[in-house]
Amino acid sequence: MSDTTDTTSATASTASNEPYRGTVPAAGSIVKLSAITKTFYRGSEAIHVLEGLDLDVPGGSFEALMGPSGSGKSTLLNIIAGLDRPTGGTVLVAGADLTKMSDSQLAKWRSQTIGFVFQSFNLIPVLTAAQNVELPLLLTSLSRSQRTKHVATALRIVGLEDRMDHYPRQLSGGQEQRVAIARAIVNDPKIIVADEPTGDLDRKSADDVLTLMERLNKEMNKTIFMVTHDPAAAERAGVRRKLDKGALQ
Amino acid sequence: MNLATYARANVFRRPGRAILTVVAVVLVVVIFSLIRTAVAAWNAGVAEAATDRLATRHKVSITMQLPRRYIEEVRQVPEVKAATWANWFGAKDPKERIPFFAGFAADQETWFDVLDEMKVPPDQLADWKQTANGAILGDLLAKTLEVKIGDRLVVTSDIYPGDWDFKVVGIYTPLRKTADRNTLVFRWDFLNNDPRAAFTRDQIGWVMSRITDSAHSADISRKIDAKFDERDDQTLTMSEHAFQLSFLGGFTALLGAFDIASLVILLIMALILANTIAMSVRERTHEYGVLRAIGFPPGHILGFILGESLLIALVGGVLGVGVVVLAINHGLGPLLEENMSGFFPYFRAPVSVLVTALAASAGLGLIAGVIPAVLASRLKVTDALRRLD
Repeated sequence: MSDTTDTTSATASTASNEPYRGTVPAAGSIVKLSAITKTFYRGSEAIHVLEGLDLDVPGGSFEALMGPSGSGKSTLLNIIAGLDRPTGGTVLVAGADLTKMSDSQLAKWRSQTIGFVFQSFNLIPVLTAAQNVELPLLLTSLSRSQRTKHVATALRIVGLEDRMDHYPRQLSGGQEQRVAIARAIVNDPKIIVADEPTGDLDRKSADDVLTLMERLNKEMNKTIFMVTHDPAAAERAGVRRKLDKGALQ
Repeated sequence: MNLATYARANVFRRPGRAILTVVAVVLVVVIFSLIRTAVAAWNAGVAEAATDRLATRHKVSITMQLPRRYIEEVRQVPEVKAATWANWFGAKDPKERIPFFAGFAADQETWFDVLDEMKVPPDQLADWKQTANGAILGDLLAKTLEVKIGDRLVVTSDIYPGDWDFKVVGIYTPLRKTADRNTLVFRWDFLNNDPRAAFTRDQIGWVMSRITDSAHSADISRKIDAKFDERDDQTLTMSEHAFQLSFLGGFTALLGAFDIASLVILLIMALILANTIAMSVRERTHEYGVLRAIGFPPGHILGFILGESLLIALVGGVLGVGVVVLAINHGLGPLLEENMSGFFPYFRAPVSVLVTALAASAGLGLIAGVIPAVLASRLKVTDALRRLD
């Protein structure tokens, strides 16, 4: 997509000299998790959510992760996205060893590498669609006019260019989620993580969102890692994985 | 859009709460400014006291009199350029158009030379020296009592019995804004020669001296008092500043209470702001989690919350200062100056009070936001995302 080439170059130029850029994972892998464990404590009781999990996600794939509630899906997603740290094991994502990064390095890495799509859209209600999409770009050195261009491009990709001045309350659920996707792709991230992206949508809107994600995967080569309970949504992914009791089946 | 857009948009996200908070800050600023203005007004005379003037009174109390002859001995002190004297008369208007005003029996030859912040036209001053029952009034007092030059004026006294009949020969205007414009000055010899004042005959209330070197006022004061050390009536000489303060003595506790009240008012402002910000932050924790997830560092979250808190406080502060200027400086102030000039010859919120109120609003806005901002910025992203509105 030529539309996003500018965004890539703008963010890549700031990211290329980062010290936390580590060893690139095995050829073709964009996510490589090894022996991941994650333990939470409820008082003195240890709850082992992930136990010795290995995961290899090839770049450019569209993967769905399913599993019962409490199986550790969201925890795994958070670890891949750099929102949470594993208790043990190594996490290599897009060439960076996340376990060796500080919180501020992780925040910067997320802003350049990961696009987030949440179940409940999580748009800021006091900002317009365009302003919501622009948010991640405020962390870059792009000028105001460059940011405006990128926002228009992202909204055009999700088909909401004509809704850029609408507030979230003026949009339907499906439109809100598409704005959220525009926000996720506006800084041209390598990976999009989606946590139940169709969970709050009707079937028609859910299909539209999934079609859009397929397009992002196929046409823009975005790696998508999606957690879902919805078998129909999982069917749209190229790879389906199942997590149960902290281990991949 | 920039980073401030989000903080700004958040301010009126809940308009009802934001408006109530701003109104509360406005009220606090007005009450704080009113208290500080009253304190400043009471202290104004003290603050603007002449540095080259000394006051000499009886060592025991201001209510005790000194022999008339002391004035000549004060004048003999080499550093004293001029000296005058007066007695307190305690004047009252029989028609009660004004509840109270200052009345002095003063020396017509020297009073306005030493107390030169009161300007009297030379012809009126000359008339006063020629008219035994002549009286000179402040311009506001003349207006209140509805008298002009040449009119007869009858007043009574708390100290001296009966009606006192004066002829208005002059009206003074103040040369500095804190000078009392509600004072009646008449001739000391008129009082001294009246049989109703026999109990204070040839006695004076206090001496005011103008000195050559204000830097050495303490030494000169000691020199004056030394002259009367061995007499029955010993003196206490002090700077005009200290003399004015001694009149405020009775108000000291009240002024102290006002100081405490103004601090309590500021504390209330901080609590109101802190409550509003804490509620807003609590409601938006999930949203801050989203911002952190997409890459905003903790410092930005801190900035958003502090910016919002500062903005609410400043909006309230600026509106409050506007209300103060309108309500006090152009409403209450002139009213008090006309009707209670004895207490408040000049009642306007000084610039220092307005600046303090605004700075306090801004400072307390930041302080009120600190704890919620730090807590929100330190939340783990995953914990913040789990919080629901």
